[in-house]
Amino acid sequence: MQQLTAETFDQNARAALNDPVLHGALRNLADNFVTRRQNAMASVDDWEGLREKARAIKEETLLHLDDYLLRFVENAEKAGATIHWARDGKEACQIVIDLVKQRDASMVVKAKSMAGEEIHLNEALERSGVEPVETDLGEWIIQLAGETPSHIVVPAIHKTKQQIADLFVEKTGIEKTENVDVLTKTARDILRKRFAEAEVGISGVNFGVAETGTILILENEGNIRLTTSLTKTHIAIMGIEKVIPRFADLDVFLKLLPRSGTGQRLTAYQSLITGTKKNAADAGPEEVHIVLMDNGRSRMLSHPVTRQSLACIRCGACLNACPVYQQVGGHAYGSVYPGPIGAVITPQLIGISKAKQLPYASSLCGACKEVCPVKIDIPELLLHLRAEITDGTAGGSAINPERKRRFAESLAFKMYGMAWSGQFSYGLGTKAARLMQKLVVRDGKIGKASGLIAKLLPPLGAWTAWRDAPAVAPKSFREIWTDGI
Amino acid sequence: MSTARADIIGSIRRNLSKSKPFDAVHAEHKHVESIANEACPAENVTAVRKLLHNFTASAEMLGIHIEIAADEVEATDLIASVVDRTGARKIAVSNSSSVSRLIETIETVEFTVDASTEFLFDSDLGITSAQWAIAETGTLVLEAESEDHRLISLVPPIHLCLLEASKIRQTLGEILELTGRNLEHTITFVTGASRTSDIELTLAIGVHGPGELQIIILADQ
Repeated sequence: MQQLTAETFDQNARAALNDPVLHGALRNLADNFVTRRQNAMASVDDWEGLREKARAIKEETLLHLDDYLLRFVENAEKAGATIHWARDGKEACQIVIDLVKQRDASMVVKAKSMAGEEIHLNEALERSGVEPVETDLGEWIIQLAGETPSHIVVPAIHKTKQQIADLFVEKTGIEKTENVDVLTKTARDILRKRFAEAEVGISGVNFGVAETGTILILENEGNIRLTTSLTKTHIAIMGIEKVIPRFADLDVFLKLLPRSGTGQRLTAYQSLITGTKKNAADAGPEEVHIVLMDNGRSRMLSHPVTRQSLACIRCGACLNACPVYQQVGGHAYGSVYPGPIGAVITPQLIGISKAKQLPYASSLCGACKEVCPVKIDIPELLLHLRAEITDGTAGGSAINPERKRRFAESLAFKMYGMAWSGQFSYGLGTKAARLMQKLVVRDGKIGKASGLIAKLLPPLGAWTAWRDAPAVAPKSFREIWTDGI
Repeated sequence: MSTARADIIGSIRRNLSKSKPFDAVHAEHKHVESIANEACPAENVTAVRKLLHNFTASAEMLGIHIEIAADEVEATDLIASVVDRTGARKIAVSNSSSVSRLIETIETVEFTVDASTEFLFDSDLGITSAQWAIAETGTLVLEAESEDHRLISLVPPIHLCLLEASKIRQTLGEILELTGRNLEHTITFVTGASRTSDIELTLAIGVHGPGELQIIILADQ
């Protein structure tokens, strides 16, 4: 499959809008997740208070991220874990590859890790001759299909049962069935063989506790538990923002994350791992390696607005609530982080010049902000990034092809501001508009039928390509009022 | 200090100091509550009977089978009946002393302690106990320090777990306070059977872990 990029969101989205199969796959998303989330929220006394608390904990952590990170490292090392530092994705991949190679492993079992997806770890492993085996059902499905995840929590949400059934026939040789239990059992049987032979397991991390050096990983399937307890070596990839100060803080996040993500009070399993096993005879890995990865995160600390991005706990609630995501799905965003949170994280991770359309992939309706368990103001972030784009602080190059449009745009807004801020200029403006619009109005509106002139006026052309603009009324309300109704 | 470590910590500090002038302005517009090092308040210890009722209600909502045994003899009978019902032949048991005591008198079938990974992959049933439980979520808490249940509770298709009623607490916060005192060994929270909704958000049970979770609660000791 051709991989879409963040640079071409507009095209990707248009193609997605015309994809009936994708809409079939996404049809359950809103009903299922949104309703379940609402029910789960109701099982907590003070949801709003919890959100406030979570955000305050995150803000406190981020403002002292250096301290908390070093404290986490000290305690994790004390418990027997080995810490690695990776400035970027390439470095993180190399650390993992070296660890795998030093242990003479030719395959690794992987539990779902968004950080791993972010740095394209699977491709890097394959290039070094190591076979990565995804074990989360959704991740395994998209690995079989050679695709990327389209949702943070449900990676294969873009695929229909029918497509998955065909994929299983092709890749596993089973007889065609759309029975989800049979498909799941097939995956279980195949992956158990891989678990039995694996020496190295790779996972992500949901929370790293500074106070104790503990890492916590949530899941529903059990593949993370298998990955982190059957293998001899466990490698955990952890973004530097995953640290939280105290063990007791988990209470807040374990209430928010499952309820927001899947509408559960708790997911089926939480593994709380503090270093290596303490007795040789115990089950569990002999070695635990934690790869602390920056990859563009520390940059986001430089402003309170962008810093919010690092509070994200990857629940996916903003994706489920987003009217844009619901229509175009995850792949259109051209990044492993789709939806509203992807639209703000991706430009900051890969550079805004490579993802200029993403901050505009939103109607600023605010549904994302409303559902976010850590109260990230995503609309504020989107506007901040849009401002960066129009101010020309983004893009890097001195000769900026968009500079002219930006000048025209800022001039237009200045005039607009002048016209609307005084009664006289406003009255003059509407009179002029009534006169001028005669050239383009057809049947009381300005639309596709308005002919050449509308098309030639750039803002009108762009607007009316998809919908009609209403014509200015012959008399304003104020005039009607003065004349007597 | 490795170079990468120094670079990352340096970058964090540099960027945070860049943010300082904006922070002051931002704080005027947005009230961000600062928090002290407050621990989560533990709720009043609810009576065992009420906790038992709450735990059972939460767990049954998740499709967990619960049986309550008045004493150890009854618990043994309940274990035997699970073995009968499931037709389990290859059974792995943990080194929990209460489990050993309860299965001692069951002679119809063999129980394997210290099972190898190979045995586990081929087994029909795993029997362990749990150290704690959370009533508000129907969660079992397994502390690897006390028992070798990390794989026995995970690999066999059915997990049978013993729980003493006195080990049930109402809230997650209370359990975090109890378990947070000693974190040397891995702790696992188990809430229901293994599940997935990865195919069209359709629920399927037993994807990688047990497809069935059965809990026997020992009411009074």
